[in-house]
Amino acid sequence: MSAGRTVCIVDDDADVRDSLEMLLRRSHYRTLCFESARVFLDAGITAEDTCVLADIRMPEMDGLTLQREINRTIPGLPVIIMTGHGDVPMAVQAMKEGAIEFLEKPFEKAILVGALETAFARTATEPPTDAAGSRQSPRKSLTERERQVFDLLVEGHQNKMIAHKLGISVRTVEVHRGRIMDKLGARSLADLVRLSLAGKPR
Amino acid sequence: MSSAIVKNPEDDSLFDALIAFAVDGIMVIDEAGLVRVYNRACERLFGYAAAEILGRNVKMLMPAPYHDEHDGYLSHYVATREKHIIGIGREVSGRRKDGSTFPMNLSVGEGVVRGEHIFLGIITDISERQARDRKIQELQSEMLHVGRLTDMGQVAAGLAHELNQPLTAILNYTNAGLDIAGENGDPDVKSVFGKIGEQATRAGNIIRRLRAFIEKRGPNRAAEDIARTVDEAIRLGQINPAERGIKLRVSVEHDLPNVLIDRIQIQQVLINLMKNAAEAMEGAARRELTIAIGRAEPNLVQVSVTDSGPGISDEMAEKLFQPFVTTKATGMGMGLNICRGIVEAHGGRLWLESNPAGGAIFRFNVPVAPEPEE
Repeated sequence: MSAGRTVCIVDDDADVRDSLEMLLRRSHYRTLCFESARVFLDAGITAEDTCVLADIRMPEMDGLTLQREINRTIPGLPVIIMTGHGDVPMAVQAMKEGAIEFLEKPFEKAILVGALETAFARTATEPPTDAAGSRQSPRKSLTERERQVFDLLVEGHQNKMIAHKLGISVRTVEVHRGRIMDKLGARSLADLVRLSLAGKPR
Repeated sequence: MSSAIVKNPEDDSLFDALIAFAVDGIMVIDEAGLVRVYNRACERLFGYAAAEILGRNVKMLMPAPYHDEHDGYLSHYVATREKHIIGIGREVSGRRKDGSTFPMNLSVGEGVVRGEHIFLGIITDISERQARDRKIQELQSEMLHVGRLTDMGQVAAGLAHELNQPLTAILNYTNAGLDIAGENGDPDVKSVFGKIGEQATRAGNIIRRLRAFIEKRGPNRAAEDIARTVDEAIRLGQINPAERGIKLRVSVEHDLPNVLIDRIQIQQVLINLMKNAAEAMEGAARRELTIAIGRAEPNLVQVSVTDSGPGISDEMAEKLFQPFVTTKATGMGMGLNICRGIVEAHGGRLWLESNPAGGAIFRFNVPVAPEPEE
């Protein structure tokens, strides 16, 4: 029995917590709900067979700060960040500080479960700062322009903003974005951020 | 002392000088409207030399419709002594020799000299003041316009965020429902859950598009002097501290760097906070509004708006920034929500602290503008 795989849900919205709990229990995870980052941190959770699913935008302590606190007090505890639209730069920052993945609300169950599996695989096998550091920088395979687009993407900029910064059309940014994803085998922006982090020593 | 001011010939010439050198236009007309005195300032204002005017009807210095009606006004006054402009000042238009018009302030007095009724007019050119007022009005209406756009965008962004939460819950419940129905469950139940899920996803996509649409307007930021921005906001927002009996203090730290902001948006935030503060202090014994500007962190400049009102209850403080929450009878409850949205879009934060001396303190940060490249 996969007795102890526990997902700690941290979200200030009671209905979101309840619905996630119901969904995850049906998928055979144990769940614990916390209405705030502070309540979670005070609960004395340990890293073993546990991962955190936290909203980025919460009153008092936000998800990004929670990520930092976890790094400090419960290292090795994987964190998945949930974002609304428009919080991407913050979510990217959370990934730079060690979050496993960010999910844009609302999300499909398959995507959530995929992220959780990645998170638990990490607790089971890999040290938190994983082997990615030894990989080649992903940017090597990109053209100069693609590299510029890539760098702005992983900072959390929207296509429109990137187009403005580079002085090219939004359509062109979209094309570059597609090529970058193809070349790097990425399926999402979160993948790209992960890849960009892999190229850098933590 | 109702007798003549003039006492000796020397004083007489002094009196002439007073009329001649006055900065304001001075003019005397008789009951028939004929000009009897017309000083140098009048020559400058109207472009006519005294010789062209003296003894002629003053209406030639007036644009239509006054030009045609002035004689009527005069005879009406002589007949009824009903005062309209006499004894008071009024803003009217003057007509120059070249036919152009200008706004002027005209004050009219009347008196009797040697048994003859005369009217004394003192004329000040107010075109500069009007131009300045118009400029302020333009800025205000620009602010209102941008303000409305910003409000719309922020309301939409706020709604997008708020709606996203229930949508997330709906999609999660639906997926749980699909699991519960199970592999071998009633195909109709599964189909219904599937369709609910599709609709929740569809609603999510609408919100995503709305969001993209809002962001398309893009930011309009430049390096701005924060002290000037605050100063303008105080003037543009018609906070009128003196009229409300509020002591306004603005303290600005020395050598502050420029900040990277959309000036009009940040002024909206300031005006909103100052108006809230002013309203909170209505009826309070001590009414002090303090705006302090200083460096917060190396890359942030902090502005605080402090009032000496009754403060904000803990219960209210918790939900103060939520949309559609208000303590005012007529408020929509979007102000602080929008303010926070604006500040956060600038990469800053807006929050509330309670004032140990009583009252509320709203603080926000905005980023320092990057040094211009060499």
